[in-house]
Amino acid sequence: MAVKIRLRRMGQKKAPFYRIIVADSRSPRDGKFIEEIGTYDPTKDPSEFHVNEELAKKWLANGAQPTEVVGKIFKLAGIEK
Amino acid sequence: MNCYLIFKDVKKKYLTKLLVQCILSKVMQMERFVEQALLYDFYGELLTENQKNVYEDVVLNDYSLSEVAEEKGISRQGVHDLIKRTNKALAEYEEKLHLVEKFLHIKEKVSQIQTTVEQAEQIEKQELIERIESISNEILEEL
Repeated sequence: MAVKIRLRRMGQKKAPFYRIIVADSRSPRDGKFIEEIGTYDPTKDPSEFHVNEELAKKWLANGAQPTEVVGKIFKLAGIEK
Repeated sequence: MNCYLIFKDVKKKYLTKLLVQCILSKVMQMERFVEQALLYDFYGELLTENQKNVYEDVVLNDYSLSEVAEEKGISRQGVHDLIKRTNKALAEYEEKLHLVEKFLHIKEKVSQIQTTVEQAEQIEKQELIERIESISNEILEEL
């Protein structure tokens, strides 16, 4: 089973806010996830993100696949495998 | 603007033109993602139930096309087409109604008022009132 690192939309309507989560690729839509490793807030200018570097590296080393957008955030945050 | 702020720690001489463009395009792509989410917040209710489900999964919850395709039992191409059509529909609504554009402008103006108020101690009362009045007039014109 593939583990993915993806964004999950939180926040109210018209005020998008995302959590960066680690979840099984088959986990249900609003269901459980394995771990939250950061946040992404595009409403700020410039957009603000916080990533727990240690956890991110751990999950990447364990073979978790970041989605395209999360990959970009990691790159901006200077996190690589 | 965004780009500059993110990389303000980087010395300017290292930012060649190409690099700047490269960074800019990345930031723009991120914004695209946010723009889609905003459009969906405003016009999502106008979409069909099926469009809503798929769009939510792909744009808001960051599932890949093939994951959604597998779950819905349709082809990846089918999901792709659906997203493309939905994007087009949302863009058409925006073109006609401009709700997102207005929302963003007004939000910007309100934050201008807030910064003005924060600086209130350094400004004379009369000027403060004038500034806020002029910004609120701009907001009224926009409505």
